[in-house]
Amino acid sequence: MKLFGLVFIIALFGFGVVMMRIEINRSGRTISQLQNEVEVKEARNQYLQLEISRLSSPGNITRQAEEKLGMVPAKPHEIVVLEDK
Amino acid sequence: MFKKSAPSPFVFNVKSRMRVAGLVILLAPLAIFGRLFYMQTFLYEEFSSKAERAIYNYLAEDRLRGKILDVNGREMAESVRTHSCGVNKRYVLDKNKTVNFLAETLEMPKKRILEKWNRASNFFFVAKKIKPDKYIKISQILRTRLGQGLELTPEYERIHPYGNSALDLIGASNSKNYGLSGIEQMYNRELSQDISKKRAKRARRGEIIYDRKLKEELSVANVYLTIDAVAQFYAESALWAEVEKIGAKHGIAIVQETKTGKILAAASYPVKDGQSLAFQFTYEPGSTLKSIAISSALDAGVVQMTDSIDMSGRRWEVSRGKIVQDNQHDKDFLSIPEILQLSSNIGAGKIALKLGAKNLFYYFKAFGFGTKTDINFNGESKGYVPPYNKWTVVDTAAKGYGYGIAVTPIQLINAYSAIANGGILMQPHIVDRIEYAGGKVDKKSKPVKIRRVIQKETSDMMKKALQSVVEAGSGKRARITGYQVAGKTGTAEKLSKEGGYAKRKHIVSFCGFAPVSDPQFTVLVVLDDPDKYSFGSSAAAPVFKEIMERMLAMKGIPPDQVDF
Repeated sequence: MKLFGLVFIIALFGFGVVMMRIEINRSGRTISQLQNEVEVKEARNQYLQLEISRLSSPGNITRQAEEKLGMVPAKPHEIVVLEDK
Repeated sequence: MFKKSAPSPFVFNVKSRMRVAGLVILLAPLAIFGRLFYMQTFLYEEFSSKAERAIYNYLAEDRLRGKILDVNGREMAESVRTHSCGVNKRYVLDKNKTVNFLAETLEMPKKRILEKWNRASNFFFVAKKIKPDKYIKISQILRTRLGQGLELTPEYERIHPYGNSALDLIGASNSKNYGLSGIEQMYNRELSQDISKKRAKRARRGEIIYDRKLKEELSVANVYLTIDAVAQFYAESALWAEVEKIGAKHGIAIVQETKTGKILAAASYPVKDGQSLAFQFTYEPGSTLKSIAISSALDAGVVQMTDSIDMSGRRWEVSRGKIVQDNQHDKDFLSIPEILQLSSNIGAGKIALKLGAKNLFYYFKAFGFGTKTDINFNGESKGYVPPYNKWTVVDTAAKGYGYGIAVTPIQLINAYSAIANGGILMQPHIVDRIEYAGGKVDKKSKPVKIRRVIQKETSDMMKKALQSVVEAGSGKRARITGYQVAGKTGTAEKLSKEGGYAKRKHIVSFCGFAPVSDPQFTVLVVLDDPDKYSFGSSAAAPVFKEIMERMLAMKGIPPDQVDF
């Protein structure tokens, strides 16, 4: 009876260890997938940030303003600076 | 008869045999344990390094670099994480499917991939620095059967969001993200991360698993320049347009904050990585140096602003056979402002002689000529001012109107800023601050006074005289409605390879500042060797005007003229 009990406890322990390994593996895969997703999103984000920088460059803004909106640079004496008094 | 022999200590009964057998059996594990203990304790390093080599690969990789930004935090150079796509042939399950997928995703001819495949014994790179959209497609199939054997290796690519703008200042870094020239090289230590290799495990299917150290990528500093990206764009677009119009070989435009010495823009043409002509170009300045010689003479008290200089015949024999002529006017006497307005070589030469070689030499040195500016830009030239004891009378006179001395654009603009700001030579700066990962900020561009070069009164007189050049003299095309502008034109002949000066090769320039009542910006424009016959007044002054107008508008500097 004692021997049976001992075997049962060892089996239970073994089962627990196996279950834990399975769970670790499953979590590992999930983490790995999430890390991959994060990497993909980070790459995309960096790419978009770069696009923002490119599009907001003075050269691009000037070109857009002149070609699309027909704007011309203001002469400095035409600018009125409002100051708080 | 026979003596009974002593009983043997070994009695081979069952019990003894069991003991011996047990001892023998125990000895084996004991020996193993002993060996293990020895290995663990004394051979630990050898075995752990063997295990490390077996498990890990050390991948030589690109290093992350910090950003280079303009004074307002606009990114001018940054490292973007890209990936290289490689194939580990051993792990590929279906060659055809893999090659087709790669050809379609990477938009490469299938034939090229197959050529690489056939050349490689096992591993080969299909494409380097692939774009994020392609990276996303490949990374999504990496864990499927199709993706087996494919590898995505991270690396960094240096990107310049503003294209060529300020590339001559920023410089270049190599494919390993190591600074080679310009700011990239000057501040390589601050910009680069000190990880030359990264550790990675190889998984069963051949994928590379990086250590988490890969994420520790924020230990680099960002370098903020004093350059304003918008001012830089204005300077470049105005300069490049004029260079192309007149067919000049080189062009330089610099904008400096008059009172602090900060460089707001430094444009060069042509643009080459890390080769800023603002610091590296040397030339004989010609008439733009007259302002320096005349300031020096006024400051030393050898001439007064009210003096008249004899111009009789517009022909002056400096020494026997050495004649200087003025063809641009017909006056017999010129005042000091008129000498500047008409850019008289006779006038400037005579004033230089009045000051004397030794005094002129020391004033030149005080203005910073013949010495590097300590801006620390790689390859900066110090120009050349020959020792005064070797000057002949002709040399001294020639230096008065800008010949026989080599200057850099940064030296000249800094000297003009000293005239404009009340007589103090400021330390020019190109780096504003360095921000380290831990939040520490190293301010580099605090205004530093190098020395007082001329008295305030001399500065005030010179500002008025140079203003008259723009209002009534050779610099009329630099006039800006509403603002008092001061400056000086320069049209210098270039040295000929055959000796002497080439009549058809010129360097034209204009250096000035505005508003005269409270100078904010100093701008220098230099155009080297134009194809079309040009003058400082016709080619460089309009570029100066365009840049200065934009600067005044951008910074909201109010007009200092009442009626306009």
